[in-house]
Amino acid sequence: MNAYLAVAAVLFVCGVMCMATKRNGIGVLMGVELVLNGANINFVAFSKYGLLGLDGQIFSLFVIVLAAAEAAVALAIALNFYNNHLTIDVDQASELKN
Amino acid sequence: MSPEIYSEVGSLLKWLLTAAWLLPLLGFLVEIFGGYWADRKSKVPAYLAVGCIATGFLLSLIALGTWVDAADMNLWAFESAGHSAEHGEGAEHGDDHEHATVAEHDHADAHDEEHHEHASADEHHGNDPLKTAFSGTFYRLGKFGRLDVTLDWYIDGLTVAMFAMVTLIASCIHIFAIGYMSDELTEHYEDHFVHLPGGRHFHRPGRFYRFFAYLSLFCFSMLGLVLAGNIFQVFIFWELVGVCSYLLIGFYVERHSASTAANKAFIMNRVGDFGFLIGLMVIWTWFGVFQFANTDPAHADQAGLFQMVRTHDGTLVTEGEGMEKTVSLQHIEGEARPSSIPYWLLTVAGLGIFAGCIGKSAQFPLQTWLPDAMEGPTPVSALVHSATMVAAGVYLAARFYPMFTPEVLLVIAYVGCITLFIGATIALVVTDIKRVLAYSTISQLGYMMLALGVGGWIAGLFHLITHAFFKSLMFLCSGSVIHGCHHEQEMTKMGGLYKKMPITCWTMFVGVVAICGLAIPFVTLPAIGAVAFSGFHSKDAIIASALTFSSLNPVHSLLFYVPLITAGITAFYMFRMWFMTFFGKPKDHHVYDHAHESPTVMTAPLLILSFFAIFVAVGGEAGPLVTLYGAAEPAHVAMGATDAGNIGLNLPSHEQIHNFHAQAGMAALLVAFAGTLLAYLFYASGAVDPGTVKRQFESVHEFLVDKWRFDVLYDWMWQRPVHVVASWCTAFDKYVLDGLIHGSASSVVKIAQWDRKFDEAVVDRSVNVLGEVTMSVANWFRGLQTGQLRQYVMLIAVSVVSLFVLVFIFFPGQ
Amino acid sequence: MSNDAILLSATIFLPAIAALFLAGFDKKAVEAMRMYTLAVTVIVFGLTIAVLGRFDASNGDMQMLVKASWIPTWNIYYQLGVDGISMTLVLLTAFVFVLAAMASWSIKDKVKGYLMLFLILETGVLGVFLSLDFFLFYVFWEVMLLPMYFLIGVWGGPRREYAAIKFFLYTLFGGVLMLIAMLMFYFNSAGSELAGGESVFDLLTLMKIAQAGQFNQQIQIIAFVLLFIGFAIKLPSFPVHTWLPDAHVEAPTPISMILAGILLKLGGYGIIRIAMPLCPYGTQYAAYALVALGVFSIIYGAFAAMAQTDFKRLVAYSSVSHMGYVLVGLAVWKINESGATVGINHWQMGLSGAMFQMLAHGVSSAGMFFMVGVVYDRVHHRDLNKFGGLMQKMPHYSALAVVIFFAGLGLPGLCGFIGEAFVVLSTWNFSPLLAIIAASGVILTAGYILWTVQRVYLGPEYKGPHAEDLTPINGREATIGWIIAIFAVVLGVYPYMMLGMMETSVEKLTQDLAAGYNASMDPAAESVTSVSE
Repeated sequence: MNAYLAVAAVLFVCGVMCMATKRNGIGVLMGVELVLNGANINFVAFSKYGLLGLDGQIFSLFVIVLAAAEAAVALAIALNFYNNHLTIDVDQASELKN
Repeated sequence: MSPEIYSEVGSLLKWLLTAAWLLPLLGFLVEIFGGYWADRKSKVPAYLAVGCIATGFLLSLIALGTWVDAADMNLWAFESAGHSAEHGEGAEHGDDHEHATVAEHDHADAHDEEHHEHASADEHHGNDPLKTAFSGTFYRLGKFGRLDVTLDWYIDGLTVAMFAMVTLIASCIHIFAIGYMSDELTEHYEDHFVHLPGGRHFHRPGRFYRFFAYLSLFCFSMLGLVLAGNIFQVFIFWELVGVCSYLLIGFYVERHSASTAANKAFIMNRVGDFGFLIGLMVIWTWFGVFQFANTDPAHADQAGLFQMVRTHDGTLVTEGEGMEKTVSLQHIEGEARPSSIPYWLLTVAGLGIFAGCIGKSAQFPLQTWLPDAMEGPTPVSALVHSATMVAAGVYLAARFYPMFTPEVLLVIAYVGCITLFIGATIALVVTDIKRVLAYSTISQLGYMMLALGVGGWIAGLFHLITHAFFKSLMFLCSGSVIHGCHHEQEMTKMGGLYKKMPITCWTMFVGVVAICGLAIPFVTLPAIGAVAFSGFHSKDAIIASALTFSSLNPVHSLLFYVPLITAGITAFYMFRMWFMTFFGKPKDHHVYDHAHESPTVMTAPLLILSFFAIFVAVGGEAGPLVTLYGAAEPAHVAMGATDAGNIGLNLPSHEQIHNFHAQAGMAALLVAFAGTLLAYLFYASGAVDPGTVKRQFESVHEFLVDKWRFDVLYDWMWQRPVHVVASWCTAFDKYVLDGLIHGSASSVVKIAQWDRKFDEAVVDRSVNVLGEVTMSVANWFRGLQTGQLRQYVMLIAVSVVSLFVLVFIFFPGQ
Repeated sequence: MSNDAILLSATIFLPAIAALFLAGFDKKAVEAMRMYTLAVTVIVFGLTIAVLGRFDASNGDMQMLVKASWIPTWNIYYQLGVDGISMTLVLLTAFVFVLAAMASWSIKDKVKGYLMLFLILETGVLGVFLSLDFFLFYVFWEVMLLPMYFLIGVWGGPRREYAAIKFFLYTLFGGVLMLIAMLMFYFNSAGSELAGGESVFDLLTLMKIAQAGQFNQQIQIIAFVLLFIGFAIKLPSFPVHTWLPDAHVEAPTPISMILAGILLKLGGYGIIRIAMPLCPYGTQYAAYALVALGVFSIIYGAFAAMAQTDFKRLVAYSSVSHMGYVLVGLAVWKINESGATVGINHWQMGLSGAMFQMLAHGVSSAGMFFMVGVVYDRVHHRDLNKFGGLMQKMPHYSALAVVIFFAGLGLPGLCGFIGEAFVVLSTWNFSPLLAIIAASGVILTAGYILWTVQRVYLGPEYKGPHAEDLTPINGREATIGWIIAIFAVVLGVYPYMMLGMMETSVEKLTQDLAAGYNASMDPAAESVTSVSE
């Protein structure tokens, strides 16, 4: 189980690093996916070896669905953002500031 | 007299005199309102006024008849005593309405059933006013427990005589005024005495109606004064005649001198009234009544002042000595009020009332208003300022006689003495014809006061009535002269007028002879005594009283010598006036050429008045006039007094006066002739040049022309200080009181400013600091929101990690 | 509600209600509003006549009592009633308001607001005269203050703000002192069984307590001083009179008439109705000071009047002088060593004289201010030295003015005389010295009034500015002048009309006070010490 958790942690950290370092919106999205999947692995791992049971599996299914939906929305935002700003650099997206 | 007869006669007299009193008031109302709207050229107001006052005269005559009838007097006693069958003498006076009516009634009722009560003069002298007076109440002004302020009437011989005198003289003067004031009958009266800037003439509508309205109002007030039954009511009418005098003196309102003189007259009178008020206050506090006397048998329990102060035989009942001395009051047993009054307070009351008389009768030291009052039209001077109003002071002093202590009488005598001398001396040098008469009036009023003061009650009033006739006559004559000379009053511009105006000249002569007291010496008619005009009899009586008094009190012999000498001065200045006006060469041809005799409407009154000036005192002190009012004499006067009062004054009795009569009359006559002769030498024969004498006594002349410098003195003594004090008061208000208010207001404002500063610096500051801190913290937090996603993520990650770290550090066990 | 309650309440509140209706008038209907206001004041006058009709002069007690609970928590009642003393003043109030309404035609701008305040003022004044509850009295007292402030401050002359604020502060200061005294009585009344152990504002109960001597001497003295200062400001008496000349000079003519004619009487009324009956001991304690102050006011006012050059200021100072007589008359209460009243009849005379002086002054001073106003409306100045000769240009007006000024001078036959004479005559009993000083006032009064008449009315011609505007008075002005002159004569000739109305009330008041004083002197003993003559 520790191996699963280690993989998940690596994935998670990679995802976070990806989100924190990538200026490209798509890259950030990918980082998000990585984080979510890291979490999924944890769920599944705890489902198999821990006390979660089927709940973990169902959670991970939810997360996948949610990730898909989220990706769709996020891509749409990115597309729109690109249409408006001709870039997908998230550092430029500071309109909510102030 | 039985109560039924009393009330019957009393109410008849009351209605007659009240009607005579109120008629002029009615006249006044009609004249003032009618006249204001009507044509300025109408003489109707004058006819109305004359009608009112003449009707009043008739009513007074009827009242007089009723009175004589009721008192059962025999006015012609002096005559029947000597000549029981001499009816021709009576017929000679047939024109004399007053006497005729009296005689008629007297004879008609001589055999009345009341004959048993035939009151001899002596019986009338008891202090039992029931026999000598009628009184009653008109209506009430106010009531406070036992204090009752009312309007009353009090009718005795004096009242009736005064009514007849006032209404008669007023009627004559009203008629005279129709002529005198006729130049007011115009829409455009031009007043030459008013100087407008630029030399323009002053024009105004005529004020004929207003003059007569004021005269009517005056008659109303004067008659009210005489009819008044209590001293407070006297005060009321006292002020009313004062205001009428004010209105009449200031009749030419546009002349500054006239309005100033009017003010002066009123204010001087008010100074006297101040004393009057003090007297009233004392009386009111200690007696609680104002009525002179209550003679109505129906209300016998309510005693009047005279009944309280004196017993039936007229004596003052005193206890104690010096300042402790008190006068016991009569007739108030069983009532809870002081039954005695300190003697000195009674004296104060008397002096107070007399102060009022001083003001009204222009006595020293308040005499200065009367000459100035000559600014009024001449009929006013004749009526108000010689015959009636100024005599009211004497009238009141006589009326109030029972209340006077010997100390007051002495003061009255000395005031009169000083006044008569001052007045006569100033009259010597005055050149304005009316002012001569004015000063002579002052002097003669002084004589009357002197007479009252030395115990000659009858003499004083005698002179009051005779003087009223001859002085109003002389004033009207001077009015006739002034009218004839087109309002020229300076005697230095007249002269030789006897050719132009003979009637005026000779009627004036009658007045002059009367006032000088001239008589044909050593001739006495058996029926009527000395052959002389009225003034002789009355002045004779005064001098006799004064002589008796000074012989009884040698310390006060000045009270005889001064009036005696002044009698000579009187003769001198009166003849001086007469000679200067009517004889000698005309001094101003412009005046002389335009002079003319006055119309009949003016000369007729002169003739009537000169008739009375000659005959009113016929018979002297035994004559009808004295018999008429003599019955009203207070009881104590006839007997005289020895060692009276705190000063031990001796007052002469009738008998003592009678003994000195012949001697005094001789002396007075001698002096009067001497004065006349001097005047003749100075001003008619030209034996002595007045100018030379004047130059020799330059400083004395100056002093007299300056009227003894009283005006200057009063200006310094009163007028200026009053204005100074007034300005102090205003300044005090402005700087001290308002200063305090402003000071406290500005200190409040100062405090408020401090308060504001404290608010801003401390209270507000602390609240603001709190807000500012919050703001700055918030501002700092604002910096965190950068919009950088990556920063956010980093932040989240770091936070989570640090959270975990913290959790593990603080809760390691779990 | 009884008829009395309706009648008295209507008398008080009719003007205020009418003022509400006035709000509905069109701004431009100036004439209609004036007529309406005049009609209201006339109706109120009619109502007071109706009150008089139901009034029984032979009864010295309070009549037509109205009592309804108002604020029960503090025992405050809506309590009204009249006696002879307030009856005469109520009549005077309604009368002067009618005249002032007629004189209000001279107000040209902001007429609506003016008339509304005017009517509210009438409610306030009538309320003060009719209320018998101390709290109600106080409320009306303050109600009256505000309209007056605005009437002076808005419609006044050039220095109106200053005058209005001065007036307001002075009066408010007095009101505060009155409030303190009121609360003193309120809390002290609880100790008496007469009030049923409760604190009351009811004046009649408080008077009974005072009469029984149940307020101790110290309270009475303090309360009297507080109340007296409050009322003396209104009276006004020296040294708190300086608001009066300013307020008069700045106030418009009708307001001056009301101010002099009525508001000053509130001071005197307050002393008679509140200060004296509630503090018999205090009154007697201060009597000499009061008389002395009154006498000083007479003389001081007369002197100050003599030095004025502003016509209206002169009349204002004459008010100070005349109201001095009121103070003197009220306080001439003499006692002997044993505390028995000496010469109670003289005191009654003084009190009646003071009351009559208030009525007479209400008529004559309103008249004088109106007469000044008439000429001010024409030539727009009041400098006495620039007048003269009005008798030539305006004879009708001048004749009326002279009559009214003579009424102020105290000429017999006119209203001013009776009050002055009665007061002065009653004073000797109290103190000869003060009586003499008071009597000397007659000379000064004659001096300044005659001098004024001479400077303004007499003389050949008018030399001041706007000579061409000196037109004869119109019908409205003449009517006011005539009414005042006629009343001056009627009151002067037949004063018993008014004196008879208050005779029994004054008698009762003096007896109550004498009893109250004796009771306060020795609370243990029954107040049986007889009232000696």
